[in-house]
Amino acid sequence: MSGIYVYSDNFGLSAALLSLAAQSGEEVCAITLDQDQADELVNYGADRLLVLKGDSPRPESYAKVIAELLKKENAELFLVGSTARGRELAAKTAGYLDCGMVSDAASLVFEVGKIVTTRLMYGGSVVQTEIINSLTVVTVPVGKFEAAKNESKKGVISSLEVKADQRVNIIETSPIKKEGIDLAAADKVVCIGMGLDKPEDIQIAQDLAQVLGAEIGCTRGIAEERHWLPVQSYIGISGANVKPSLYISMGVSGQVQHVVGIRDSRIIAAVDSNDKAPIFKAADYGIVGDLYEIIPLLTEALRNA
Amino acid sequence: MAKIIACYKWVADEADLRINADMSVDLSKAKGKISDYDKNAIEAAVQVAKGTGDTAVTLTFGSGKAKQSLKDALSRGPAEGFWINSGSAEKADGAASSKVLAAAIKEMGDYKLILCAEGASDTFARQVGPGIAARLDIPCVSSATGFEVNGNTVTVSRKLEDCVEVVAADLPVVVCVLPEINQPPIPGLKAVLDAGKKPTRELRLEDLGLSETDLAAKTELQGFEAYVMNRKNVILSGDSAADKVKELVANLKKEGII
Ligand SMILES: Cc1cc2nc3c(=O)[nH]c(=O)nc-3n(C[C@H](O)[C@H](O)[C@H](O)COP(=O)(O)OP(=O)(O)OC[C@H]3O[C@@H](n4cnc5c(N)ncnc54)[C@H](O)[C@@H]3O)c2cc1C
Repeated sequence: MSGIYVYSDNFGLSAALLSLAAQSGEEVCAITLDQDQADELVNYGADRLLVLKGDSPRPESYAKVIAELLKKENAELFLVGSTARGRELAAKTAGYLDCGMVSDAASLVFEVGKIVTTRLMYGGSVVQTEIINSLTVVTVPVGKFEAAKNESKKGVISSLEVKADQRVNIIETSPIKKEGIDLAAADKVVCIGMGLDKPEDIQIAQDLAQVLGAEIGCTRGIAEERHWLPVQSYIGISGANVKPSLYISMGVSGQVQHVVGIRDSRIIAAVDSNDKAPIFKAADYGIVGDLYEIIPLLTEALRNA
Repeated sequence: MAKIIACYKWVADEADLRINADMSVDLSKAKGKISDYDKNAIEAAVQVAKGTGDTAVTLTFGSGKAKQSLKDALSRGPAEGFWINSGSAEKADGAASSKVLAAAIKEMGDYKLILCAEGASDTFARQVGPGIAARLDIPCVSSATGFEVNGNTVTVSRKLEDCVEVVAADLPVVVCVLPEINQPPIPGLKAVLDAGKKPTRELRLEDLGLSETDLAAKTELQGFEAYVMNRKNVILSGDSAADKVKELVANLKKEGII
């Protein structure tokens, strides 16, 4: 068994997965559906880049083709970027191969003769560690691994004519208008929770965000129930993942489904009136107090700092 | 009348999960529940069957504990509940679950639509819907926020990272729904009482031509432990609010944040 295959419909994720795969010392092959992407990916550590030339624009429709390819090539690992399309493609490929699959790996380490992965379960409370020693499909979310350019190594590009699954066809696509900001890229995040009483009170958070140069995020209820902020603003297992240098919350209790999305923050600070709120267990610095008193004082202190 | 099959998983309620001092996880006291997102799949099946005149049914792969789920599932509107009863469900990975469910669906026959949630609330691995489709070699449409059946096709809206996509797929098809597709109502008393009278069918692995060895885990499980959050956990203890704030600012400075 040899060879690691990599696919993502997200360019940055493809590059990151190629750099990860290159650490294995195995032969690495990038699969793409278009020549341009292959041209751009040549310097990210792949030995080979295989352009699948088929008759569908949908990556998901190539699962069977890719499964057959992996089998023929005796592949040992198929790394797929965890996007909506990537996850479906990955799970179908694993289904066709009747092989194992690790979804949304939080870590992946190449050891001698085996691969060790971890992933989160039960909303982020539990870490499951698995050892892979036969062909397995692994999906990896955005932002876990960095892409590293390797100018000295240039992959060889080839192409393959294939037949896609024609049973699902796109009728139309319309871009989602991104309201607000890209929280995942924010260097500082001020997060509001249901402890805020009225929509006007968001101003308190905005003032703090302004002195910090932070973006505003929230918990699910603020976006999904109260509709005070767009859904892109909520952080957690079903929302955004953030990894700022500072995350500071007000009126956020810190349930695990939310905390999962802030774990990669460098420093977590929390203001909550309940000294037993779980957010304090997840925080580096906590202030037990009324956010309506504390936050304006904090904004003022930072302004003068 | 064809079957519209909603698959669901009977899971341990994460709210009852206990962490032991050695960071091991104790699920022995956890109550079971139908995985939250699967309620959306069941509701979607019931709604679409009303429109097409087909029969909504549920399907679950679970151990003996899952027996109690049948009444709950049927109180949500489907006409019949199917249950593959096997202890191996407790350890089943995505490959095993989709293999068993696909085999059961074949055995049930005459299906046109299979509805799954994107993922279960315990593992959230998001493998089973597409895995069933691959094993039945039928199309799959995931991330669905809405769909409509017309004759032999289904038209599905999907929410992807940067766009909304509408696709048409040939039936039979597996559709994996996102929670925003609907708001499953809480079943009323009458629905709960009626559920007890609805037919259920228990299947065994042998009925599906499968054995425990077909369901062996594909990866080797090495650890299953509580996530450890390594944080400073400093509660700023100044006398007044102003003092606490001052301490926080000093700490943020020390950390090089400001
Ligand atoms: C399957 C599932 C998925 C979920 N996914 C997500 C997710 O992705 N993201 C997410 O955020 N949630 C998610 N949730 C919801 C999550 O479990 C919590 O319910 C939610 O995060 C709580 O939001 P909150 O902290 O804003 O509100 P609450 O839990 O209501 O907390 C409010 C806090 O405000 C404090 N407070 C009140 N008044 C004041 C005051 N004047 N000053 C200071 N503090 C005050 C209270 O002490 C309390 O701690 C999910 C739940 C489920 C079941």
